[in-house]
Amino acid sequence: MTTLVPVTYKGGVYRHDEIMDLIDDLGGYVVQKHVMAQDVVLQSFVPREDINLIRAVAKPLAGQVTEAPLVGTEIAVVSPSLEIHHLPHTSCDIAEYLRRSGAKTNMVGLARGFGKRIANLNDEERDVINEHDLAVYMLGNFEECIQHKFPVLRRGIHVPIVVTGAPDRETLMRIIDPPVEGYVGGIGRIMHRFKRPEELAKLDELVDEVSRVLDARRDVLAKDPLSVFPPRLMTIIEEEIPEVNFLTHPTPVTVQMEGLRVKLPYDSYAPEIRSLEVAEGVTVGDVAEVKPSRMRNYILIRVKPFSETRILV
Amino acid sequence: MPPLNYFVVESPEEVGRKAYERVAGDVLQDLDLIKVIDRLHIYVDPKIPIFIAAGVLHHMPRTIRVGDFANVNRGDTRIVLDIGDETYLAPLLRVLWEIYGKENVEQPDRFTVILPAGMAGEEDLEQVVVADPGETLHKDVIYAMQYLAPEGFKVRRQYIRGERFYYVASEDTLPGDVVERMVMPLFERMGVTL
Repeated sequence: MTTLVPVTYKGGVYRHDEIMDLIDDLGGYVVQKHVMAQDVVLQSFVPREDINLIRAVAKPLAGQVTEAPLVGTEIAVVSPSLEIHHLPHTSCDIAEYLRRSGAKTNMVGLARGFGKRIANLNDEERDVINEHDLAVYMLGNFEECIQHKFPVLRRGIHVPIVVTGAPDRETLMRIIDPPVEGYVGGIGRIMHRFKRPEELAKLDELVDEVSRVLDARRDVLAKDPLSVFPPRLMTIIEEEIPEVNFLTHPTPVTVQMEGLRVKLPYDSYAPEIRSLEVAEGVTVGDVAEVKPSRMRNYILIRVKPFSETRILV
Repeated sequence: MPPLNYFVVESPEEVGRKAYERVAGDVLQDLDLIKVIDRLHIYVDPKIPIFIAAGVLHHMPRTIRVGDFANVNRGDTRIVLDIGDETYLAPLLRVLWEIYGKENVEQPDRFTVILPAGMAGEEDLEQVVVADPGETLHKDVIYAMQYLAPEGFKVRRQYIRGERFYYVASEDTLPGDVVERMVMPLFERMGVTL
């Protein structure tokens, strides 16, 4: 079986459709396409053994193929609030950096996430965070506050968490109990843009930490594979439901590690999606759960594992 | 950040103290207050929890009067104001409309304002106050302190009079004697009394 690896293609608009066709022909998937003026960025999954072929085809077009460990993941960047104290720096800088590594990031600004004693997480916030593959919690400068408020902010969250804060990694590991999946110290409340080399190094460290946590999750998934690869389901939805292509969202169908978020109204489209045929005799409803998302009125698709369906498409 | 004459950040946590030093530097620089604030002492203790910023401003800018930016030429039937600097033209017109009535204030071009002569109080026209830059400065300083303080510290007491200011914030009720007990000693360390 071919292994699909996440890569980013960066190149010009000119003849980029040839690259898209090539990825398609090789059995890969383009999960995100960004056109920015003259440039195109394709976040895609391609067979490992064909990366050099894509590089060779892209060379005359001055395109670059790089490994992007976070392609096909949706990450929640959780900020204690959307006030000027936390925005635009830290929150936006971190979200943007993760995006450059291929992730789809959503910023979750808590309504009452600030303060030590008064910090809170409501049910909507909890459910929205739980719809992601991973949550990056951006906490502040004081060890005392992090220790006190973090148990409240993580209550009910079952997705992997990576915590950032000003205290160093060891301190974060000491004060957070029970442990979370990842820690990055030295990023607290920063009121300027990340531009110094040591600040950028911290962002790289964060990307490494997030990739490590997600790789661990992928290893667990490999033991009981999903009934259908989510990017494949995305391609089917895009082909069969043309309305998706008219949406103005940057990613109308967002690929996650274990499912998809479809940005169409649940009530009108869920039955249609459930009855879509993935392969002969197998519908989406057989291999996945189609649920309403807590994010607006979107549709959330959770692909079931092989052990549950006994189907592998 | 170019140094203030006195800038101290105190906190029981060393990492937090250092982070706050940078945060304070960034905020003052962003809001262009480095040249305005002369001395600043910040104390943050998340255990209590409390945030105190006490400081002294440089000399406050004085009020702007008509004579500062306009020549007043008195004629027999009218007074002609020759505007030298347009910065305060809008507040000047607002003040003149109030004194003379809108229909009596004529402005044939950007740099000229014509008023009728012979009305009461015109001998003091040069001394009429048009704007007070200190007023917005006070707002800016308090805004900077709000911006600087931890966001959850919503209970606050602020003071700004003349050149001295303080800002105390916490998420719990502030004790009644917080100023005497915690703020005044900071002023003493800066060499001033509140």
